[in-house]
Amino acid sequence: MSESMLELIDVKKAFGGNQVIPGLSLLLDSHRVTALIGPNGAGKTTIFNLVTGFLTPDSGEVLFKGERLNGRSPESIFKRGLVRTFQEVRIFEGISVLENVLVGKEQGLGSWRMRKRNTEEAMESLALVGLSSKANHIARDLSYAEQKFLSLARVLGSGADVLLLDEPTSGLDGRSLDLVMATIPKLPDLGKTVLIIEHNLDVVRSIAEQVVFLESGRVIASGTCDELFARKDLSDIYFGGVAK
Amino acid sequence: MVQFLINLVILASIAAIVASALNLLIGYTGVFSIAQAIFYGVGGYATAVVSLNISPSLLLAMGVSVVVSAAASVLLALPAARVEGEYFVVASLAFAVVGYSVFSQWTEVTGGAAGLVGIPRASILGYDMYTNEAYLVLALVSLGLVTGLIAFIIKRTPLGRSLQALRDDPLAAQALGKNPFRLRLIAVMLSGAIASVGGVIYAGYINFVNADSFTPDASVLFMAMVILGGAGTISGPIIGAFFITLFPAALEFADVPAELKGSFEQVIYGLALVILMLVRPSGLASIFARRRKSPDPEAWSTGPAMQSVAAGAVVRGGALAEEES
Repeated sequence: MSESMLELIDVKKAFGGNQVIPGLSLLLDSHRVTALIGPNGAGKTTIFNLVTGFLTPDSGEVLFKGERLNGRSPESIFKRGLVRTFQEVRIFEGISVLENVLVGKEQGLGSWRMRKRNTEEAMESLALVGLSSKANHIARDLSYAEQKFLSLARVLGSGADVLLLDEPTSGLDGRSLDLVMATIPKLPDLGKTVLIIEHNLDVVRSIAEQVVFLESGRVIASGTCDELFARKDLSDIYFGGVAK
Repeated sequence: MVQFLINLVILASIAAIVASALNLLIGYTGVFSIAQAIFYGVGGYATAVVSLNISPSLLLAMGVSVVVSAAASVLLALPAARVEGEYFVVASLAFAVVGYSVFSQWTEVTGGAAGLVGIPRASILGYDMYTNEAYLVLALVSLGLVTGLIAFIIKRTPLGRSLQALRDDPLAAQALGKNPFRLRLIAVMLSGAIASVGGVIYAGYINFVNADSFTPDASVLFMAMVILGGAGTISGPIIGAFFITLFPAALEFADVPAELKGSFEQVIYGLALVILMLVRPSGLASIFARRRKSPDPEAWSTGPAMQSVAAGAVVRGGALAEEES
């Protein structure tokens, strides 16, 4: 039985008069890949923003390893072991691919002494997503797919325990999609806990052990892929009646 | 003629030091500041006060100037480093105006509008640098050291990488543990401290400082040097500083009636800047930059390591392939 890594307790968030998250509770098991799915506007990315400190909950609690995260800055949450990617590609385009990964690894004054080890570990992260041969390329020169992989390598290399991946496969196809689908399921074996927002249900079925279904900021179902994908009421909400 | 050229190169080198320091902010941190002349001025005034009252020692003047300028830069950074983009520009403009007022009004320390005169030429380790040639060497060596220091910070240190990450994407940098306020504070202090070195050389070389050298207009000119030369490149601010310093001097030799000379210079100077920005929007340094090799379109996402991982995907993706068929 996996222990709880991240917990949201009755979290609420409104923008103006619009209650985007009207009271959400969620428990994320450690060393698993959990997918957060739901129709557009369900509040998936808002949850990522609330957990990583880019937004502050109006009420409720965000707990990470039992510690309250409410009101903490994104950088302090990162230092506690929680890292995220963004829906859009956000790379540091003016520096090299290797340096992009090093940015997440180098924290504090002691990082200068560990530069050799950091570089080796960053190269391992790049190898995991097939970018080691482009380590010295300037990041802006990468293709879109490669930039997505670089975002993934950055969070892998950061050393964080929990990875929040916001649509890591969007815009990818063919071999690129295969690569992401091959990489993410390996992460629990590397000690990582993964929460992923994903619209491609084939990808969800392929990589996620747990699925949380969200609608209008509420968890309306959770369980394994088979359990959720078999439910007609959910497919009516999200799958448009075409769930397999 | 030789002395004329030496004078120009010294002034251009001083400008290049100040512009290179500004490039740390504009080019490598993504912070647009138009208060750079203030830190240049702090260096100049600190040198004047130290040289006139204590000792003409260059090292003492440098030490005092760097510390005072870094401290003064905190006054800008504390309120301004919390904001981004145009807000920082406005805050820095306010700082430039207030700083200029302090220079011109704080008579007891700065000499007010009249400034401080009779600043002795510096001495270093017992050697008095009376000649312009000595100052030429000082200016060029200082420019070399400053350039080397900035290049080292940017290319080799975690701080340099963090600053560039903040420039490229502040949100992603925060998500990877970077504190934007702290990084901007460090960058503004570093930039201010380095810019003051230009002021140290200037004060000793000209033997006189007053507020007219450190106006908001001068700050804008330093910004123009960075952008014209190429922000975010090591050589760009140096090229920009030499161009902006030497070009008006070159126009002095143009065969134009004396009464029209001033206007003619302004028009040609302005036109040249506009044309250069149209032709070389990424700066003069881009003329000399090596062309980067474009990534091979066939090679994208198919590196050797990726192929091995993707091969694994084919095995475990069997069920998926079945579903898709």
